Amino acid sequence: MRTPSRRDLLRLSAGTGAAALFGQLGLIDALGVGPARADASSFRAMVGVFLFGGADNWNMIVPTDTRYAAYAAGRGATLALPQASLTPLPGVPFGLHPSLAPLTTAWNEGALAPVFNVGTLSQPLTKAQYQASSANRPLALFSHADQQNEWQGLRMRGVNRDGFMGRTNDREAATTVPDLISLGGNSLILIGARSSPLILPSNGGLLRNGFNATATDAPTTTRQSALTAFADGGTAPTVTGITATSLTGNYGLAVTANAVLTGTTSIVDQYFKNTVTGVALTSDISKQLLRVARMIEARSTLGHSRQTFFASQGGYDTHANQVDAASTTTGTQANLFNDLAQALAAFYAAMKALSLGDNVTLFTMSDFGRTFRVNANAGTDHAWGNNHLVLGGAVKNQALFGAYPDTTLGGVQDTDTNGRWIPTTAIEEYIAPIAAWYGVAAADLPYVFPNYATWTTAPRGLLGLFG
Amino acid sequence: MVHQTILRTGIAGTLLTLAACSGGGGGSTTTPTPTPTPTPTPTPTPVVVTGDVIRLAKQASFGPTMTLATRIATVGTTAWIDEQLAATGSSYADLASRAVARNFCTLMASAMQAVCNRDYMSSFPVAYAFYAHAATGNDQLRQRVAFALSQILVASDFEVHSTAGTATLNQLFLDNAFGNYRTLLRAVTLNAYMGAYLNLADSTKSAPNENYARELMQLFSTGVDALNADGSVRTDASGAALPVFTAADVHDIARALTGWTYARLAGAAANDGNALDYSQPMVTIAGNYDTGVKTFLGTTVAAGASQTTSLDAVIDAVFNNASTAPYVSKFLIQQLVLSNPSPAYVGRVSAVFANDGAGVRGNLRAVIRAILIDAEARGDAKAGASDGKLKEPVLYMLSLARLMAVTTDGYAFVTRDAAMQQSPFRAPSVFNFYPPDYPLPLGGGLLSPATKLMTASTILARHNFAYDWNFTTPSEWAVQASITGATGTTPNWTEWEAITDANALADRIDLLMLNRTMTAAQRTALLAAINAVTNADPAMQARKRAQTALYVVATAPLFQVDR
Repeated sequence: MRTPSRRDLLRLSAGTGAAALFGQLGLIDALGVGPARADASSFRAMVGVFLFGGADNWNMIVPTDTRYAAYAAGRGATLALPQASLTPLPGVPFGLHPSLAPLTTAWNEGALAPVFNVGTLSQPLTKAQYQASSANRPLALFSHADQQNEWQGLRMRGVNRDGFMGRTNDREAATTVPDLISLGGNSLILIGARSSPLILPSNGGLLRNGFNATATDAPTTTRQSALTAFADGGTAPTVTGITATSLTGNYGLAVTANAVLTGTTSIVDQYFKNTVTGVALTSDISKQLLRVARMIEARSTLGHSRQTFFASQGGYDTHANQVDAASTTTGTQANLFNDLAQALAAFYAAMKALSLGDNVTLFTMSDFGRTFRVNANAGTDHAWGNNHLVLGGAVKNQALFGAYPDTTLGGVQDTDTNGRWIPTTAIEEYIAPIAAWYGVAAADLPYVFPNYATWTTAPRGLLGLFG
Repeated sequence: MVHQTILRTGIAGTLLTLAACSGGGGGSTTTPTPTPTPTPTPTPTPVVVTGDVIRLAKQASFGPTMTLATRIATVGTTAWIDEQLAATGSSYADLASRAVARNFCTLMASAMQAVCNRDYMSSFPVAYAFYAHAATGNDQLRQRVAFALSQILVASDFEVHSTAGTATLNQLFLDNAFGNYRTLLRAVTLNAYMGAYLNLADSTKSAPNENYARELMQLFSTGVDALNADGSVRTDASGAALPVFTAADVHDIARALTGWTYARLAGAAANDGNALDYSQPMVTIAGNYDTGVKTFLGTTVAAGASQTTSLDAVIDAVFNNASTAPYVSKFLIQQLVLSNPSPAYVGRVSAVFANDGAGVRGNLRAVIRAILIDAEARGDAKAGASDGKLKEPVLYMLSLARLMAVTTDGYAFVTRDAAMQQSPFRAPSVFNFYPPDYPLPLGGGLLSPATKLMTASTILARHNFAYDWNFTTPSEWAVQASITGATGTTPNWTEWEAITDANALADRIDLLMLNRTMTAAQRTALLAAINAVTNADPAMQARKRAQTALYVVATAPLFQVDR
């Protein structure tokens, strides 16, 4: 989709002083010389949705041309989605899982970008190189915890103690209320070197029972003074000291966040409804994204010109009963995809309603892809390369990214014979363009993406997701 | 200033005279040894409740009480540990007997289904029993270790719903808490509830399910990275961690473990899909077993070997792997003592895991004893940079509840734990509620596993638990009519009502909650808050003052982090 150019912004504000203009639009901040600013035109948010467990996204998006035959053969009758069941993506030879039909609107509006065969890589990798030495591969392939950490920390052959969202935040102007916010719990991805993220619940308010800042009676005032005294755990970077800082900080932030999460004037809630039935969405991922939308809606109040969000959906470790015996289009995965698609569609609609369709980019992540080949229990096992989705008005119109693999079991892209595809797009090639769009300065990209140089050296390069 | 107070012990029901020294800080509380009922007025022999005694209680129980502390101080650290290593009592046997067909509840009248599902198709009854035992049971260390094991050998009601299954698996942890780790690993492997959770049940030779094979190594025994005996990671020339196993190892272990299925309920056909008996070990189904040659972790199982031979070869291979001793040892240290043990500490415990002194590997009794008597565990308050362990939610709640002398059927805790992100037996995945290597944010490389659970809402949930249970009569304390045998939750304030002096109260709180780490400023503030609470009835005043103090200090980082 088209976004306002710098020239548009200049034209819009003709007649005002340049400094005031740039300050107003946040451009000074983008140049690194001014305070954070919060207005619609320069605002950017990125929203990472982690599909925990390793989502089988080989059934998320499926080829509809001659490649369908290899798809159907590789997945077998137990797993293969019938071609007629797929949700078409007009203009390209691929279709979405039928449960992802709510994303059709975004595709038609040029706001959905599928990315093929992304995964953890420490270097560009052929099958011959994969087989030649484990030193050519990321550590602990096919392991949930390790692959999650590599996706989030982006150190493929080392120890991950922080994550790319935390590192992104390290290089932003500090804000009073953290602008790194998770609705999906704590995760390595959020850990940086400078400040702690704000971790908010997907449900319920944030009330501190019994606490009354305006109380005047002695039992309450002395008790509250004692709470303050006992909040001291020292300031050393120890478990106690950091816990103390976290407790005190969160008591304060909860008051601010509670007003945003439970306030009654939000306009975004109305979009979080089932696209077919109109009933309010109840899945956890929909509740998370509703609150992401509320935090974005409140960006000015919060003093945020940038916001980074983490959300998550669990349950994708489908070793068994991934599909129903009666139909490959129903079952555990179909239900998860339905929850996901309803939530994403609602979120996209809410962003458009806030006139921020082009200012917010959501993208999916997951532990790994799953074996193309079915196992004994109508499920799939841990694999590697995977497909993902980018959602937001700023992405290139109706384009596909990365390369769909040769899905021949035991073929040139399979690590073994079960359909564990060697990724052809590195995570950095997938996510660094989103970070750059978001506003991470070129000089900071190697900090945020430690293996950045590898993926920006020709013939490799970042995906052209935007434009 | 010396106060004479009477307190009733929870264990023996005896009365003992307690001499509490207070004022001025420092020093230790002295108490006499318990005296046999009903011998009148013996000459008390004072025992010293040191900070170390309280620390041991925090490590080896669900929270110190004066009674427990007195017992430790009386018999001594090692004797008390040995006493605990012999203690039994907690059991889920009654719940394990609730094995029913999968459609048991759906066949009932709709009005009864919700209760039926809770009582037969969920982990909740097991969690109720867990909290009830933890609050008052005598076999505290056994329960602590069983709870730790339930967080390493994870199966969860999040995915598989069976009260009998949850109870059966967790009974294994209670029974084997001080047994041999190999015995436990083998029993867990054949446990039907685990078989359902990690898909070992009905894995067949035509397409072996790799889920259990992988997690058996990665989470239950060796870990992913090859470890030295001190828990440090073995690396290659480039500094990258060396793996313990390959994808081929996973695949062949999966093949070796094919051919197991659920036992069926009495009278049901062997292929009855409804009559799965989660309370019995899995049974063989020979036609599904891969009889071919299997090679994994340097072990080869010859073609034609029996299913049992394959199973034992797998268990031996993972149990005897060099990484297993440090992996399991470090995990247990992190569960019981601190989040960042030194390599030397891990090494000492790991050596005991490898050989208990009598040539036995995997002797958990010896391992637990080694963990608790180690110099890194013992001593008064520790203040090193790497010391400390954030109380996970279950320990946070139970520590406070035990100070309140709560008797409970466990229900009340279950209404609170989800908001703190730790519902026992309902971990979100096989990776437990938190990973053992979760980094402490801004902690310069320190780990703090339970910090994974600290969010704006869980921090408030912890606070609100402390507030609500001390300042209100929360609805969850009431007897739940739908639970058979429910008794509700009741605190007993008798012990606190006897402490009518403000300084004595501050002393007791400092000792039991903070193992004497309260700062002078905190003591001053606490005394002000205590003295602001007044009531015409001295006992009621003492109770309300104690409630104020328990609440305030429960919010403190010095209480939330054990050190």
